[in-house]
Amino acid sequence: MSKPAPSLHDKLHQLRERFIEQLPSRLAQTAELWQQSRTTSEEQARLAPELHRFFHSLKGTGRSLGFERLALLADQAEEALTTSPARDDIDTFISQLLLQLGREQQHLRSHHGQQQALAAVNSFELTSQVEPPLRNKRQRLIYLCDDEPEQVDQLIHHLRCFGHEVVQFIDTETFFNAVLTRRPDAVIMDVQFPQGQTAGTETLTSLNKLTGQPLPAIVLSAHSDFNSRLSAVRAGCGGYFTKPVKPLDLMLAVDELTTPMVEEPLKVLVVDDEPEAAAYHALLLEEDGMSVHQVHHPADALNAMERFSPDLLLVDVYMPVCSGEELATIIRQQPEYLGLPIIYLSSETDSQKQISAMSAGVEAFLTKPVQPDELVSAVRLRAERLRLLRSLMTRDSMTGLYNHSTTTELITKALAQAHREDSQHAMAMIDIDHFKHVNDTHGHLAGDQVIITLARLLKSRLRLSDIIGRYGGEEFVVLLKGISAEKAATLIDSLREDFALVDFHAGDVRFRCTFSAGISRFPAQPSTESLRLSADQALYRAKHQGRNQIVISTELADER
Amino acid sequence: MHILVVDDDPLAGEMTAALLESQGHAPLLANDAMEAVEQLDTHSDIQLIVSDMHMPLVSGLALLAMLREQGNNLPFILLTGDTPDAALQQTPGLNACLRKDAELAWNLEVAVRQALALHG
Repeated sequence: MSKPAPSLHDKLHQLRERFIEQLPSRLAQTAELWQQSRTTSEEQARLAPELHRFFHSLKGTGRSLGFERLALLADQAEEALTTSPARDDIDTFISQLLLQLGREQQHLRSHHGQQQALAAVNSFELTSQVEPPLRNKRQRLIYLCDDEPEQVDQLIHHLRCFGHEVVQFIDTETFFNAVLTRRPDAVIMDVQFPQGQTAGTETLTSLNKLTGQPLPAIVLSAHSDFNSRLSAVRAGCGGYFTKPVKPLDLMLAVDELTTPMVEEPLKVLVVDDEPEAAAYHALLLEEDGMSVHQVHHPADALNAMERFSPDLLLVDVYMPVCSGEELATIIRQQPEYLGLPIIYLSSETDSQKQISAMSAGVEAFLTKPVQPDELVSAVRLRAERLRLLRSLMTRDSMTGLYNHSTTTELITKALAQAHREDSQHAMAMIDIDHFKHVNDTHGHLAGDQVIITLARLLKSRLRLSDIIGRYGGEEFVVLLKGISAEKAATLIDSLREDFALVDFHAGDVRFRCTFSAGISRFPAQPSTESLRLSADQALYRAKHQGRNQIVISTELADER
Repeated sequence: MHILVVDDDPLAGEMTAALLESQGHAPLLANDAMEAVEQLDTHSDIQLIVSDMHMPLVSGLALLAMLREQGNNLPFILLTGDTPDAALQQTPGLNACLRKDAELAWNLEVAVRQALALHG
């Protein structure tokens, strides 16, 4: 048996050690080059590229290997060397940096320094190997820094339930290095550490200064005194919680802090037979942050609409083969595009012709050459209005999930495509156990909290491509694409386990909830209706067998 | 099937190679553009090139231009210590331009997968 090949982890470890070993000679060489380049201006010109490269590679390699402080110093040196005209104090500045680099190198050679750099990079490797394929847009990387780990176990569990990746630190220095190596989406920080009364918030303040970008942070503290709170405000923290904290409240705060308000950009389809004109208009809209797709032949428009599902169409009136008016009529003849705003572009100033165009259901008429501002605002106004209407029509207002009719429609569409592609899907019907009891005992607000939490759990843990809908009341339906019923059951079951551990609060009372689910498979059940029926029957069995469980429909049993 | 890694800093090159290896690829190393061309001549089964940007004499970009001129159309991924600007990102013939940072492992894996998928 041969020795197993060294893992990536071992290799990186070796490379890091070699980097530290080589560092003194690298730095000495750089210092020597620097001295020499200061002798004459010819020398300076000759050695400048090499010197630049030295710092540059120190920065790049240092950063990839997790020596972030070293990389920051090298970056400053590189910046100073490439800025022109050079700063007046460049001599002292570079010498200072070389000194600091020397000190950092000694620190790294000490055992302690190595351990820290390793810890910072290890936390990244371990998580990054499992996370990438699963991570979706709503999941966050959260650093939690608290010197009393047992106090935050519960919190970490809750955060992980919702798919967030949590890395825990017990001292501020390891945390400091980790932030420089891999920036988190949010930080939860204790105030008081053995190093000082406000060591936690001070670390945040100095990180913000060093990186120039404020870290989204929430403070979690055992104390609520003025000084602790003031230090949190000064560190730019977005929230302050005193222990013991209710995990759900803190989660909401993390969400608020990390969910950018920006929505998906507005999507515009430009139909114009002149590629230059199409490109110009597309550019104007893209500069305003919209996502634009161009089509140069009217016949391609329908196809593009199906794939791109635009919020608005910008159509040139004069095109060979098919005029803009004819295209608008074709589009309006399809019920799903009845509400889609269409804007015409033409060089037509004749108002009579404009009116005839309007009769085909066109929203606006812009005359070429169009004013950039006019184009952008005309498009934005109409596209946003459609977005809003659409979301009112399709979303459930409490959870933001698709409502009953939209869910059914989306699933039917997905199945039609699946028939063509010969793929398998699974449907899960999920129902909260004894929900009426929750409402009766703890009140409707508590009930809403349970529903919203389950919605968020589904949204954060399932893929963006899965269809998640609220079917009504406490019932949810999910179409999991491209996986077997067995795999779906395993997945939903892991959600069930996590959901059962979430603590809800109603006044001073703490309670927990469970759900049951039934799963059916496509194409064994070929239609939305038959999928739903057989998932429903499986759900019924899950409830009957004692709730808090997942049951897969067996086709035989369902043929009764 | 090999992936050619070009970097004048041997440590950086080995690190990139280690990442690629852990992702199931077989990396070959070259210390500069000249060595890269030699490797390409010796190994006909190179599928993709990952090159550092800043190298003495011939930069990563110059290497890319040189190869394209010679009709070599292998997918090409550029690594740089700086945050790549838009102009660099959109260099014709470049599949991806990645920053050397802690996210490199993940970014590289995605970029390699995409580049290989594109080139079938």
